[in-house]
Amino acid sequence: MKTLLSILGGLANVAIVLLVAPFFQGVLRKITALIQSRQGPPIWQPYFDLLKLLGKEDIESGESPLMQRFAVYLSLATVLTVACLVPMGFTAPMNAAGDVILLIYLLTLCGICTLLAGLAAGSTYSLLGASREMMTMIALEPLFAVAIVVGAVHTQSFRLDTVLNGSVYASAAFPWSGVIMFGVMLLSFQAFVQRVPFDISEAETEIMEGPLMEYSGPKLALFKYAQMAKLVIYSALFVTLFVPWGTGLMFPLGWLVFWAKVTGLVLLVTLVAATHARYRIDQAIRYFAALLAVALVALVLASYGY
Amino acid sequence: MLVCFSGALVTWTRACRRSSAGWVAFATVVVSSLLVLTGVGRVLIFGPGEPVTCLEVYSIGFALRLHVDGLSAVFLGLIATVAIPSALYSIEYMQHHLEHGKGRYYPDFLIFITAMYGLVSTTDMMWFFFIFWQMMTLAGYTLIRFDPMNPGRLRAANKFLIMMQIACAVSMIGAQLLVNAGGPSSASPMLRYDFGSVSHHLPELLIKSPGIVTTALALFLVGFGIKMGMWPFGQIWLPDAHPAAPSPVSAMLSGVMIKTGVYGLMRCFLWLVPAKACVDYPIHYWGVVVTLLGTVTLLTGTVQALSQDSSKRLLAFSTIGQAGYILLGLGVCMTLIGSADRAVSALGVAAFYGTLFHTLNHGVFKSLLFLNAGSVLHATATQDLNKLGGLMRYMPVTAVTALIASFSIAGVPLFNGFASKWGIFTAAIQGNPACRLLPVCVMVAIITSAVTLALFMKFFGVIFLSRTSLLVANRARRHRRLEVGWKMRVPQIALASICVLFGLLPALPISIIRRALEGSRQGFGEMLAAASPLPSGGWAGIGSSNHEFIYVPVFLAFVLVAMFLVTRRVAKLGGSQRRSAKPWLCGYAKEAEMNRYRASNFYAEVKRCVRWMGGAPRPQPEPVPVPDDK
Repeated sequence: MKTLLSILGGLANVAIVLLVAPFFQGVLRKITALIQSRQGPPIWQPYFDLLKLLGKEDIESGESPLMQRFAVYLSLATVLTVACLVPMGFTAPMNAAGDVILLIYLLTLCGICTLLAGLAAGSTYSLLGASREMMTMIALEPLFAVAIVVGAVHTQSFRLDTVLNGSVYASAAFPWSGVIMFGVMLLSFQAFVQRVPFDISEAETEIMEGPLMEYSGPKLALFKYAQMAKLVIYSALFVTLFVPWGTGLMFPLGWLVFWAKVTGLVLLVTLVAATHARYRIDQAIRYFAALLAVALVALVLASYGY
Repeated sequence: MLVCFSGALVTWTRACRRSSAGWVAFATVVVSSLLVLTGVGRVLIFGPGEPVTCLEVYSIGFALRLHVDGLSAVFLGLIATVAIPSALYSIEYMQHHLEHGKGRYYPDFLIFITAMYGLVSTTDMMWFFFIFWQMMTLAGYTLIRFDPMNPGRLRAANKFLIMMQIACAVSMIGAQLLVNAGGPSSASPMLRYDFGSVSHHLPELLIKSPGIVTTALALFLVGFGIKMGMWPFGQIWLPDAHPAAPSPVSAMLSGVMIKTGVYGLMRCFLWLVPAKACVDYPIHYWGVVVTLLGTVTLLTGTVQALSQDSSKRLLAFSTIGQAGYILLGLGVCMTLIGSADRAVSALGVAAFYGTLFHTLNHGVFKSLLFLNAGSVLHATATQDLNKLGGLMRYMPVTAVTALIASFSIAGVPLFNGFASKWGIFTAAIQGNPACRLLPVCVMVAIITSAVTLALFMKFFGVIFLSRTSLLVANRARRHRRLEVGWKMRVPQIALASICVLFGLLPALPISIIRRALEGSRQGFGEMLAAASPLPSGGWAGIGSSNHEFIYVPVFLAFVLVAMFLVTRRVAKLGGSQRRSAKPWLCGYAKEAEMNRYRASNFYAEVKRCVRWMGGAPRPQPEPVPVPDDK
């Protein structure tokens, strides 16, 4: 019974993410257009884009087409697997399959797929993009890990449902570490969802979408889908970790509050993305290094119970 | 069991004095390894036998006393598992060197393996430790300087020799200190240097003169630390010695030989001191020291590896990094296990499981990586990553096994490296109240694991993906077929399947380790055996009994594969046509070789930020052209 419930919950999460992700993308594009005084595409446009791409010709340019296919399918598959682990308004469905350390490394696997795709494509621009993507991952993965570990240290647990429930504030004294990590994650959130000013690895105007440059047709559709889903999943993670208030309400209410918060976060991302210019990779790395130093201070505070 | 084992030693060295055929060597390795493995199995199932004593010289305490308990059994198993593939691999790999005579290579190879078997099963801390160590070092020395194509080999081999002799001397001084201070021994002088009798005296010694024990332990730490590549000693010899040796030997050096250092550390710090004396034994502080050393080692080793352009040198630096993980795990275990709180000491035990598991894993995937690098070297005659590219099309088997190994070492879920790191990390973070330092060390380790990932994405990407380089294209045109023969493919496939098996069923090695610890009750081994922190059953994965941490790879794999199939189906829904084309190079397709993105270009900004950590890449010596035998 319990297993069945967790499988159903996981499937529900996957369905929600798949359905909602293009919608958020549409909102994002529309609002960006409004900020820049354009009319912008209709909100449903991303759905049509995806459908259209699925039917387009699929050109494989790399040395190993098998690797290219593998990387693409795995990319969306990993994102969907992560969706099964993250609570989306309810508790995490697949609690019995893994813990937060697994979550950290699974999120890395999403990035690895993009990397492999870029490396396999064989274009110099893709390799350039892959190298940049990896450099940002070196800096970002630990930031997210610190946030999770702060929660784990406070609650002395690694369970998904315990940690992904505002655990960063769960210390006995005033949760300095949680507050600091909230700031740090907010300042680096654009990078997690790969939007301006930290979309350095793709940088359309500069290296022509980097790792994705050589991809077309259904492969591009899957990559884009994975990217949109990542926005939803990271927002959900952020909300469950740092803005837990109100989720415990009665069924429809708590659920609505949760998605309202996610939408708010997406709007914030859009606002920042539309009003900032892209950083260079070396500037970004210095920025992340500074954030990482602050995060480590937060971790030390957390280990002393603050 | 041990009689068969010693018998095998003799036949070995005999049989291989003949210059004919690696097959004899392979056969002897297989026979002896099978004997060793059955012996290991017997120890794990029925518990350890009695120590076997032979070759006694009464007056100076000279006695070969072999005793295989659980801990030795695990390491023996690892050595045997890696030795068989390496020996098979050697046959084809060494064909280049016909003119130099396998007469020199194979006997040394066998002596090397023999010495390692001996080193992990002797209980004698002085004479036989010395003899086995020297056998291992000298054989290793000749093996490292064997490869005639490598101009830097003499320097590398000399460094190796000197560092190993220092390590040997330091550990022996440590042992002598303990024995001398032990006073008139109650045991017969023959067993003066025996591990058991030293251990027997230790409690009173800890009370009488703790200074001497501390000095001795510090000497052991240095001695075995040199062996396992601990910072700062590892950086001196390891990155030179590993690339200089022929690849199967590098695999043995990195996968197995440095593990004898791990074995030594575990023996000295956890098994030597009886558990009842732990009040006088500051294991907590030793743990903190080892944890810090481990953290520094893993960070420096991995970051220095990032800037390497030579395949085997990169792997050698990452060996230092992985040795750091093992040290970190051991340190965490030692920090927590001495605690009076039972929950905390159980975490220490969990960390120990993770450490030993990681030791096994590293033995498997790092030797696999060295074999992969060897295959590439065999096929293209270069170690220079800048000149390689696009080999996946030509060497699919090597490429896939290298991908599995890279995923394992980078800690991708579902592979074995993740399972063992997971064990160390969870234990260390939960152990926070006992030692405030641990979460920060774990965080450094997590940062480092991201760097490891970067490292192996570069390693795999520039060799097998990227774009076919001029060199590879030329070789492919000349040889028609670049993939190595079955004698080199089978070992790679075998090791890769161990990686996948241990990754999907981590409960299997965990239960082996549990059996081993139950058969090894001495010192803190008793405590390690008493607590069983990671209850696990067949398919259920591993986790703590209170479900505070849990990892079920089979279930996860099921979900991931299901999702993979779904996405694959979705991709075909639109009915789009596939077509292959050349990548678009902005009209500079003719200069494709010039505008390739090379290995040295990767991660330039990060490399600039961490330049102060050292490890600048060596300019690569042009290798002497290989005699073409195909």
